[in-house]
Amino acid sequence: MSESNTPRLPLLRFVYDGLRQMVRGRVVYWSWIGLLLAGILVGGWAYIQQLQHGLVVTNLTNQVSWGFYIANFTFLVGVAAAAVMIAIPAYIFHRQDIKNIVLMGDTMAIAAVTMAILFVVADLGRPDRIWHMIPYIGNFNFPASLLAWDVVVLNGYLLLNLGISFYIIGCHYRGCEPKLKLYFPFVVLAIFWAIGIHTVTAFLFSANVGRGFWHHAILAPRFIASAFCSGPALMILGLQIIRRVSNYPIHQSVIDHLAIIMTVALQITLFFVVAELFTEFYNETEAVMSAHYLFVGLNGHDQLVPWIWTGLGMLAIATFIGTVHPLRRNLLLLNVAAVLTVIGVWIEKGMGFIIPGFVPTPIGEIYEYMPNLNEVLISLGIWSIGLLLFTLMAKAAIPIECGALRAPGIPAGKLICRPEQQAPEYRKEPVNGESES
Amino acid sequence: MTRYAMVIDTRLCIGCGDCVVACKNENRVPAGLNRDWVVERTSGAWPRLETEFRSERCNHCDHATCVQACPTGASHHWGDTNVVLVNPDQCTGCKACIAACPYDARYITPEGYIDKCTFCHHRVEQGLDPACVATCPTRCMHFGRLDDPRSRVAQLLRERNGETLKPETGNLPNVYYLK
Repeated sequence: MSESNTPRLPLLRFVYDGLRQMVRGRVVYWSWIGLLLAGILVGGWAYIQQLQHGLVVTNLTNQVSWGFYIANFTFLVGVAAAAVMIAIPAYIFHRQDIKNIVLMGDTMAIAAVTMAILFVVADLGRPDRIWHMIPYIGNFNFPASLLAWDVVVLNGYLLLNLGISFYIIGCHYRGCEPKLKLYFPFVVLAIFWAIGIHTVTAFLFSANVGRGFWHHAILAPRFIASAFCSGPALMILGLQIIRRVSNYPIHQSVIDHLAIIMTVALQITLFFVVAELFTEFYNETEAVMSAHYLFVGLNGHDQLVPWIWTGLGMLAIATFIGTVHPLRRNLLLLNVAAVLTVIGVWIEKGMGFIIPGFVPTPIGEIYEYMPNLNEVLISLGIWSIGLLLFTLMAKAAIPIECGALRAPGIPAGKLICRPEQQAPEYRKEPVNGESES
Repeated sequence: MTRYAMVIDTRLCIGCGDCVVACKNENRVPAGLNRDWVVERTSGAWPRLETEFRSERCNHCDHATCVQACPTGASHHWGDTNVVLVNPDQCTGCKACIAACPYDARYITPEGYIDKCTFCHHRVEQGLDPACVATCPTRCMHFGRLDDPRSRVAQLLRERNGETLKPETGNLPNVYYLK
């Protein structure tokens, strides 16, 4: 950095330039932002109802005390974890094409983990007392409580990813290469931390000895496996949208790579489901009641049965598309598979996982649960916040990463792409050496 | 460690539900919620049937998974006893303890925090029995210290076999049922 070129208050300038990027966009961009803002407003209004009257405005009961919020939380922790773990091949196999999207993975992880934290906050009966969960200030029950662990690992993960991505972006903004030696240890830490957040979240459930449906050793492996389905699936969809709207260099080889990860993870996930079904049903024990409720219904209570079979069916179709090479290479079918995977995992490890843990209750009562409108609206609001966060961060990051946006006095970098320009047809490029014909 | 325990003679219990009413009165439990309840189990084949009543509540476990799960320490053991209490001012209403309890003993109050049976520790401090025990018309419920071999509960458990609920969870519960 030459001193004469460094502007005064460089950080302020960086923030200003970033914000300016966020408010510049075309009609499609602003319609999308407007849609998300509307979602946040509606969700905010619903949350005010919940703040005023308490959790009584939800369909949660003393019997089913975790519901739609915690279902979304579990799903999003998986997405956050997987978004970082796809960075592994970039650094281990030195794949430049994947290095280009590592930052997008970090951005997605930041958005997903923020949503996950917000979903836990939405589930609190007394959010005004959340400061009791702050170490040293409150009375933090660490390391005994798994939820305390979750607070530590989720917030640590958020800070870690913010640190890494802002360091890389800031370096590019100032026209210099980020020092690999400086940030690589943190990337390795983030990868292990990613496995950590999902394992801790799994332990949060499997620690409950009174709930046979959760008290399994396979829970953490299953969570990691299904995270590697939904994370790459969301990346496949998100990256294609980014490629379409911004001309960011996302090569088809990256999409193909993500598709393989998703497929293998789907196969493992289905295998785990079969393993669990066998153990539950071949010789039934007392703990099988919850699985009965979920998969076939219990004493005429079968609200979740169509729900779970839809989810598993979606996962099966996605696995089939991913496994058959010609089908997976068809971009349209791959997108179908990605959408099916996202929805399927959202069902399978969301409502399909949380609710049966409470049905029947430990003393044998059956209370069914479905979210009401207020819960859905609050969840919609939180999803809008996450998507808005991702959109804004990506909007500001892309020109910097492309080399178009630099600090004042720093010459523009080698333009690797030009934002706001129509994307070239990437599909025509050879993929991993093999030709597309 | 002071171990308070409840010993309930299911042969004397008639399932009247007075313990439930006494608890609601004593502890001003909000409408629709209960800290204790009576379970009725019928076993056998007609005409040889047997009905058992069980007055159930928090088991005040030695190894309380709810205390373990609480992220803020709002769920805690009272002094050096096994009595599990919730500090309502520290409870964030995260419901981790509800998921952790194998006995369904906890509920969320309209104010948003978690509450449960306290073994009437405010009465125990004054040397009185919990409200449910004091009310029981058939005197099938007994309360006392298990670490005192001369106490009524210790004597009863020596004389007759006491069973706990779900001992397989490893929670070491302290409500015993005499069969």
